[in-house]
Amino acid sequence: MLNKQLLIVGAGPAGLAAAIEAKKNGVKDVLLVDLNMKAGGQLMKQIHKFFGSKEHRAGVRGIDTGAAMLKEAEELGVEVWLKSTCVGFFDDKVACIEKGMEDGSKKIIYLKAETIIIATGGQENVVRFKGWTTPGVMGAGAAQTMINVNKVQPGQNIVMLGTGNVGLIVSYQLMQAGCNVVCLVEAAPGIGGYGVHASKISRAGVPIYTKHTIKEVKGNGPNGRVSEVTIVEIDPKFNPIEGTEKTFAADTVTLAAGLKPVSELVKLQDIELVFNGPFGGWVPTHNEKMETTCPGIYVAGDTTGVEEANTALEEGKVAGVSAAEALGAISAAEADKQRAEIWARLDGLRMGPFGEKRAIAKKEVMAKFPGVRA
Amino acid sequence: MKSYDIIVIGGGMMGTACAYYLTQEGLKVAIVERGDIAGGTVSHTDGYIGASEKQPGVDSMQGAASMKLYDEMRKTFDYDFEFSENENGDPIGFVYFCDSEFEFEKAKEQVAKNQALGIEQYAVDPYILQQLEPNCAKDLTGGMWVPKDGAVCPFRVAFGFVEEAKKTGLLDVYTRTEVLDIKQDPATKAVLGVVTDKGEFAAPKVVNAAGCWAPFIGAMVGLEVPIEPRFGQLTVSEKTGKITQNRLALEYGYYLTKFFQDGERPISPLVKAFNVCLNITSDVTGNTVVGGCRLFRGFSIKSEYKIMQAVAQRGIRYYPMLKDFNCIRAFAGIRPFCLDHLPIVSDVEEVPGFYMACGHEGDGITLGPITGKLISQYATGKPLEFELAPELAWARWHDKDIPAMKAREEENTKALKAVEEEVIRSLSK
Repeated sequence: MLNKQLLIVGAGPAGLAAAIEAKKNGVKDVLLVDLNMKAGGQLMKQIHKFFGSKEHRAGVRGIDTGAAMLKEAEELGVEVWLKSTCVGFFDDKVACIEKGMEDGSKKIIYLKAETIIIATGGQENVVRFKGWTTPGVMGAGAAQTMINVNKVQPGQNIVMLGTGNVGLIVSYQLMQAGCNVVCLVEAAPGIGGYGVHASKISRAGVPIYTKHTIKEVKGNGPNGRVSEVTIVEIDPKFNPIEGTEKTFAADTVTLAAGLKPVSELVKLQDIELVFNGPFGGWVPTHNEKMETTCPGIYVAGDTTGVEEANTALEEGKVAGVSAAEALGAISAAEADKQRAEIWARLDGLRMGPFGEKRAIAKKEVMAKFPGVRA
Repeated sequence: MKSYDIIVIGGGMMGTACAYYLTQEGLKVAIVERGDIAGGTVSHTDGYIGASEKQPGVDSMQGAASMKLYDEMRKTFDYDFEFSENENGDPIGFVYFCDSEFEFEKAKEQVAKNQALGIEQYAVDPYILQQLEPNCAKDLTGGMWVPKDGAVCPFRVAFGFVEEAKKTGLLDVYTRTEVLDIKQDPATKAVLGVVTDKGEFAAPKVVNAAGCWAPFIGAMVGLEVPIEPRFGQLTVSEKTGKITQNRLALEYGYYLTKFFQDGERPISPLVKAFNVCLNITSDVTGNTVVGGCRLFRGFSIKSEYKIMQAVAQRGIRYYPMLKDFNCIRAFAGIRPFCLDHLPIVSDVEEVPGFYMACGHEGDGITLGPITGKLISQYATGKPLEFELAPELAWARWHDKDIPAMKAREEENTKALKAVEEEVIRSLSK
């Protein structure tokens, strides 16, 4: 069986940062596994500039951050398996990986890792309405991948459900990609995301219907594709108000209804989970080392609660430093020093009206970590 | 404090079945369940039902009796529990494969005994076997065909019992409620009620239907219950279409290893190490489910990849075409294994008002109805419908040294584990 010092599952911002940090701190043998064709995760489709201060890469586009990290990882000698999926996770830190081979075939490989970092990110929530499985209904993130990574339009006329930052930013990017955004639909009384993003959309003349939801999607287009979308106003208890229906011609519906942590791998171990609403569901509890209740198994990024790329990246660094410490590459004192610096930046990221909720959620998740290990 | 005629501890197959039949007798019943209905062994199983996978005698007879009750339930329940049937309305059968003269002889013996008891099963030669299961390996010695055995959706049976019982208005269900203690009269030891993490309930009668966890409940009234969790694991394939023609196909070794030590099968060290025996079915969904094994792993239900490999080997032995299909997942569960391979179903003389309905290793889905029925008859003092019921009673453990038996079982497990580790070591060289 193959042996590795450190296995990292997921090559998004958290996984990449963890790999870089572990390598920098002297871990010799780092394997990074990702099921996509390219590493970088969500960063690779974030063509917008980040907010915040300079040390949080403000003003830099996600895609550039991703490219720089990839380059750094390569230069440091991180081994990367792409088109490879971790399909099993067993006792004694044995992982089963379906490795994508050069000739396009797949090969099952079992490997034993001394330490493991799970950074599998988040996945989009779906919203169910009549016709929600019609071809042309997709996640907003999927649409974003299509335009920003694969350079194809998901459709011509698009209805966006959800006005959080994902809904707003993807709507604007769809417009930039030459798609017609018919309207945005939001169940809450107000817009969910930043006003600055919403204004861009309003200035372009795209209506945003708050207190509305999608009632039905009809699939009379070519090959049963979406042809018509009916939205309806809802009362404060989210019940549809009859007679307020509006119908639009559209071939695509994108759902931006939030994300939830991808926790399948975490659930395959005896890792203690905590339910946390603001973080999107069941998440592993962990300590300040990002270590789970299974010693030697670490988590980072959206797997530990849905936040954003910068936070994921910093958490990845913590996990990378902790793995290096566990593997004996650096001393506990050195690891503590590095972690303190990263945590200070993480605290900075979890401030302000949007950040504070996340700070509280993180505290709740970490509070469940048992003080004494078995 | 809420009071009931009888409290059933456990919301699995036994607990829900007992609750159903008790409400049919007019008793006011509460189910107290630590997790959720059908949340333990019921949700980690395959749902096959029948009389064939049991030793001839009380074991196969209780299977046959329970199948009759399933027949009744199909007619009376509004709740659909997905009873498998062919166009004649009969459940579609099981086929067993014999891979050696030894196995075929054993199968013929079992058939003769069960036929004498009126249970329908046949020994079949390799030619008939090929007609029954055209995709199976061509070099098998013979087989056994049980035309009446079938399958149900195990969750739906448990939910069905609860829903049908609720219609009487006599059932309360307390899920997420853990029993902490059982109250007894200090003088007579008679049951008075249960203490849970959500409060106390009073009742003069309590049923221990806690499956693998029955020993913990037994200990609350001072009983040492000879039940241990026995691990099994199943593998699910991608869409294959119908590879098997019968509801279930198994190797005869599945039956043999369940009850006896197995030393006769021509198998690889890996298969031997994990005590793997084939059972396979192409499900209605188009996926094929392949198992299984019998091991002792404590209460763990984590899948093990080495078992998946061994199961794959065993699957390909009997269905060579399986080698071209991918596995999509595996799942494991634990069966409440009673040290003498028979369930414990009866009242308990030394603790008045205490009843046992547990220890149905790998047969709980089949035996739920008959167990529920018997408990309802014990609890109401009615004559027992199943004449061999005394053989299932708790009393058979009175003169047994359970701690010594458990210790022996533990020694066995250790020895098996050592063999397993030795095989793994030699394979990894």
